[in-house]
Amino acid sequence: MSGEFIAFFILSLFTIGGAVFMISFTRVVHMVVSLAFTFLSIAGLYVLLEAEFVAVTQVIVYAGAVAIMMLFGIMLTPHREQEEDAGRAQKVVAFIAVAAFFLIAFFIIQGTTWDPSVHHFTEDNTTMIGKTIFTQYVIPFELVSVLLLVALVGAIILAKREENDSE
Amino acid sequence: MDITAWNWEVMTPEFIILGTATILSLIDLFMPDDRDRRFLGILGLLGVIAAGFYVIKFAGAEPVQIMNDMFRLDSFGTAFKLIFLTGVALLFILSIQYLNRQNQEVQYRGEFFYLVLTALLGMMIMASSADLITLFVGLEVLSVSSYILVGIRKKHLYSNESAFKYVVSGAIATAITLYGMSFIYGITGTTNLYDIAERLASAYQQGFSLMIYLGFFLMLVGLSFKIAVVPYHMWAPDVYQGAPTPVTAFLSVLSKAAGFAIIIRIFLSVFRSIVNYQSDAGSFYVLFQELNLYIAILAAASMIIGNTLALRQTNIKRLMAYSSIAQAGYILVPLVTFWGINFFSQTLFYLVAYLFMTLGAFAVIMVVTTDRGTEDIRSFAGLYHRSPFTAIAMTIFLLSLAGIPITAGFFGKFYIFMSSVLYENYWLAAVMMGTSIISYIYYFGIIRQMYMRPGDTEARLAVPLPAAFVIAVGVLGTVAVGLFPDLVLNYLNQNLQFTDMFARP
Repeated sequence: MSGEFIAFFILSLFTIGGAVFMISFTRVVHMVVSLAFTFLSIAGLYVLLEAEFVAVTQVIVYAGAVAIMMLFGIMLTPHREQEEDAGRAQKVVAFIAVAAFFLIAFFIIQGTTWDPSVHHFTEDNTTMIGKTIFTQYVIPFELVSVLLLVALVGAIILAKREENDSE
Repeated sequence: MDITAWNWEVMTPEFIILGTATILSLIDLFMPDDRDRRFLGILGLLGVIAAGFYVIKFAGAEPVQIMNDMFRLDSFGTAFKLIFLTGVALLFILSIQYLNRQNQEVQYRGEFFYLVLTALLGMMIMASSADLITLFVGLEVLSVSSYILVGIRKKHLYSNESAFKYVVSGAIATAITLYGMSFIYGITGTTNLYDIAERLASAYQQGFSLMIYLGFFLMLVGLSFKIAVVPYHMWAPDVYQGAPTPVTAFLSVLSKAAGFAIIIRIFLSVFRSIVNYQSDAGSFYVLFQELNLYIAILAAASMIIGNTLALRQTNIKRLMAYSSIAQAGYILVPLVTFWGINFFSQTLFYLVAYLFMTLGAFAVIMVVTTDRGTEDIRSFAGLYHRSPFTAIAMTIFLLSLAGIPITAGFFGKFYIFMSSVLYENYWLAAVMMGTSIISYIYYFGIIRQMYMRPGDTEARLAVPLPAAFVIAVGVLGTVAVGLFPDLVLNYLNQNLQFTDMFARP
């Protein structure tokens, strides 16, 4: 059993565990913390896959920005602990659907014979990502900036408090 | 290759739309708050017309690609872009009328116009790229713009609810689509659709077939959200009801057409070349002879669910939502019976017909519901006595949606029906026939309200000029296409060589 396998095992356990706790916790703060756990473990998995750049981005954007934004959101808005009363039948149906999908995906992935050879990325992959984004992928890159602009405008006009708002 | 060496001129329509959206946002920013912002709509309209001019200018040319198919100008994309631009032009005229001074519900009028333009940009990219990443970013530009447009009536409870539902179900659909794409990418190691097609064909032989099926189903389910067919149709009625009427028209015509553009592009490019050599019945194409059964099931289920649930609706926008689910089911039929080059002209013919009849119908719905202050079907009662021309126009749109002869909808449905019969897919043709007959009940229900029910008021209904223009264009388009369907089909077949979608320049 190699060190890489042990690291993978622990990180996947944390990823899945964080996700499960995120769903089952009832307090919002606990949910955010377990979500941050998942994000960080995913960053660890990226490191195992030799994608350092993606790993660092994952930490900065998800574990940093997204989790902190959510904490701010919780601090600044009134909220109560709420128990969701999804119907029993609904829960059963959802469980069956998810379990069926899991089994299908699991058997397909297990049943496929993969190419066992391992590719190592020796080049400096951050440089390579930069070069590719600004040459070959420049069109989607520019479009993403339009996407961000739209999201920004949307966030402002939907969340801005009006002058004539009561409160 | 140097970045300036590419032929960037072919992207002129996209640059014009992007530029117009930027200029509108800047003007909107520096304009005093109390000024009427409707002239921004006129500026936007001019931008759309200019972009349309260039799209027509480039039509019929040899396919051109930029940066390994990141952007592609081919006949398939051109045809869809013409549909989008026509639709958005009509929608702008309708919105100028909708955002008049009496309407206090939408406070952000400038934003309304340029969000429609960014959505248009997303749609145009979705129609003219052959790379999964670019296609996906285009899809998201469209989706995010439309989430905001749906919720733009901030003080309106239904609008808030529907925007929230739309965001949540849209995000799940996006996740499912991406999960599916990740399998396809994982097997092939590229995002270029042509490279994927080549490598999938060999990967299928090497024992990755189940993985390919998984990718196919996940992408089909995820993308079915955009065109609102089973299994991802549940959001449509609530969102259509809560969105402002021009946005509802946008969702039901343009966003849906863009969804078809991306579905046809991805599925035909990627899965087309997979052949199964090992079966007992001889070798066969997996997409056209095996996977198309599942698309057929989705199409049939959409027709049945859409048309039967529409029977029980009393809200006109909910009714149109269920009707649009059923219509999307009809448009999926040519994809099932793909064999043959007529596939593209059949699909596009129906989309052109659908564009005119649906936008026209929504223009009438907007005028009538604003006048009566309710979205109940009873608001149409006595319309014939209040405004005979509006009632007649609405009758034409409804007959066309139902597929009655001498309207565009009849020929659209007829071609699709014949394609199904010719390729011996009788059960799908039967479902289409049966559900069309069911749809007569609710379409004629509205017509009965307009002519035979006494309304609460006999006062003349004043149809404002912009709305009247859209209704007139709708009637003209529906009837002209219905009377001379050959003209449209000949134009499509002669000027646009759809098979160049599969050619790598």
